[in-house]
Amino acid sequence: MYSWRPLRRSLKLLHEVLDMRTLYDYYKLFPHTDCGYCGNTSCLTMLRRYCLGNSDLNSCIYFKSGERQTPKISYSPPPLRLPPAENISYIRPCPSEPTKVTIEVNVLPKIHSPYGYFDMITADKIFDHQISNLKISPSLGIARIESEAGDVMIFSEGKVIIRRGADERRAFWEIGKAIRLLWATVNRKIRAESAQ
Amino acid sequence: MLDINNVRKDFPFLRSGRIYLDSTATSLTPEPVLRKVLEYYHEYRANVGRGIYNAAQAATFAYENARAEVAKLINAKPNEVIFVRNATEAINLIANGLKFQEGEKIVTTILEHHSNYIVWLRLKNAKKVGLSIVKSDKEGLLSPSDFISHIDRRTRLVAVTQTSNVLGVRPPVKDIVKLAHEEGSFVLVDGAQSVPHAKVDVKELDCDFLAFSGHKMCGPTGVGALYIKEDLQELVEPLCIGGGSIEDVGIEYYRLRSGPGKYEAGTPPIAEAIGMGAAAVYLMNVGMGNIEEHERKLTKRMLQGLANINGIVVYGPRDAEKRAGIVSFNLKGMNPHDVAVALDTASGVMVRSGHHCALPLHKHVLNAPNGTVRASVYLYNNNEDVDVFLETLEEISKTLA
Repeated sequence: MYSWRPLRRSLKLLHEVLDMRTLYDYYKLFPHTDCGYCGNTSCLTMLRRYCLGNSDLNSCIYFKSGERQTPKISYSPPPLRLPPAENISYIRPCPSEPTKVTIEVNVLPKIHSPYGYFDMITADKIFDHQISNLKISPSLGIARIESEAGDVMIFSEGKVIIRRGADERRAFWEIGKAIRLLWATVNRKIRAESAQ
Repeated sequence: MLDINNVRKDFPFLRSGRIYLDSTATSLTPEPVLRKVLEYYHEYRANVGRGIYNAAQAATFAYENARAEVAKLINAKPNEVIFVRNATEAINLIANGLKFQEGEKIVTTILEHHSNYIVWLRLKNAKKVGLSIVKSDKEGLLSPSDFISHIDRRTRLVAVTQTSNVLGVRPPVKDIVKLAHEEGSFVLVDGAQSVPHAKVDVKELDCDFLAFSGHKMCGPTGVGALYIKEDLQELVEPLCIGGGSIEDVGIEYYRLRSGPGKYEAGTPPIAEAIGMGAAAVYLMNVGMGNIEEHERKLTKRMLQGLANINGIVVYGPRDAEKRAGIVSFNLKGMNPHDVAVALDTASGVMVRSGHHCALPLHKHVLNAPNGTVRASVYLYNNNEDVDVFLETLEEISKTLA
């Protein structure tokens, strides 16, 4: 059985991206087994990806076998509720790629610190080759996280740039993923150090 | 010799220490040009070609004088130079003004900027005009013989760039003009990247049309020029007509003027045109030969430096003699936009990334569907600019790629 708590928490995370109530209504129609047959880690992930147009309901064994009735989802995600426009700019760097959006976020506009807002020298020590797709350049003050379709670049003076070969929604998804990845690594390192 | 320190003082944009390596997209504007534009607004802000009062006369004089200076830059007669918005509008003017008929043919190349490419595709689709694309080799080089099989009796126009805005290669325009004229076709030269950077002589080239932009040659934005050979002006119809372009109008008839005025309906971009004239004077004072030589040295330095950085793929010929001051490259493992952002944020180096308005070239010749990074130099760049660019790029290659 799934527990409600983590689900609620995950849904809260989704709040920024999708209309929570509608998504929740559809979620009720899912098998809630998190079996992984469809290739997603949970039924919620599957639903989320379906709503973003990235998965097929027929890849679910319960729906395919008819054990559970395939829900009719006529759901198109509502316009993204973007964070306040302040300090965020959307850049389309090449006219021949009008759909490719780069999002620039200035975490703090002006920071007067010799190390900048993001301290890449310390970051290099913490993350030192722990994440294969994270590259840090202490000399340039830039960190770069590669993902399947785009990159997140973090600059020491407090700028974060998300370049995705997709729309604004996905770009925000990507930055969320990058932040979770970094936190997970920090937590693992802290746990490992306290265990010693 | 070009006195680089003196030249740099003229460009206020450079005072903050930024490194501008994107002159192919648009150039910086020097103080003398800015002063001339401001002078118009301050001293004799009036319309041109209409008005008897002093300021109107002064404005008309300055506007026509600018035309003469721009003509001098390309060795044309003043009445062969038409002020337009930019090179793109100039090319569109020819595409629409030549009144192509079904069955006629246009020849262009795979190197072209979209502005000298999609206009012909539109004609092909709309009027069933034949379109023949001359393919280059992997380095973007073209030889006159590549054109022989494409240009025939049906060919009405050959539209070719004088300098590729991606690779910096220079197709043999003079030979192409000769070939085209033998078959009785016109030649339109896209001079957007050549006129600002080297001596272009329309008499020597013998081309029929030459399009170029003011903003790429140290002039203001919003103005460009189209050269139309004097005896062909009868043949080319204007893109739009109206006030200023007529000789006589009755209730049921109108008669267009001859000369550049025919194409300049409505109030033209006066201040911008005056600025473009000032830019032509500025470039001629520095010397087009000096500018070309200066850029060649910087390009050589850049190409040598790039060859020593791990993971850099340079597109086009490695020999600086075979190209203008435009170098497109990629860093393996990194998207061109990321390289450009890293260069800007780390060292204030401004370069262009993407497809540079030349998708067919990126897709079919360079095999770089994600685009390239492009660094380009102009008269105000110095060795230090190139060195900082190379050092930062090397650091990016070592730590981030």
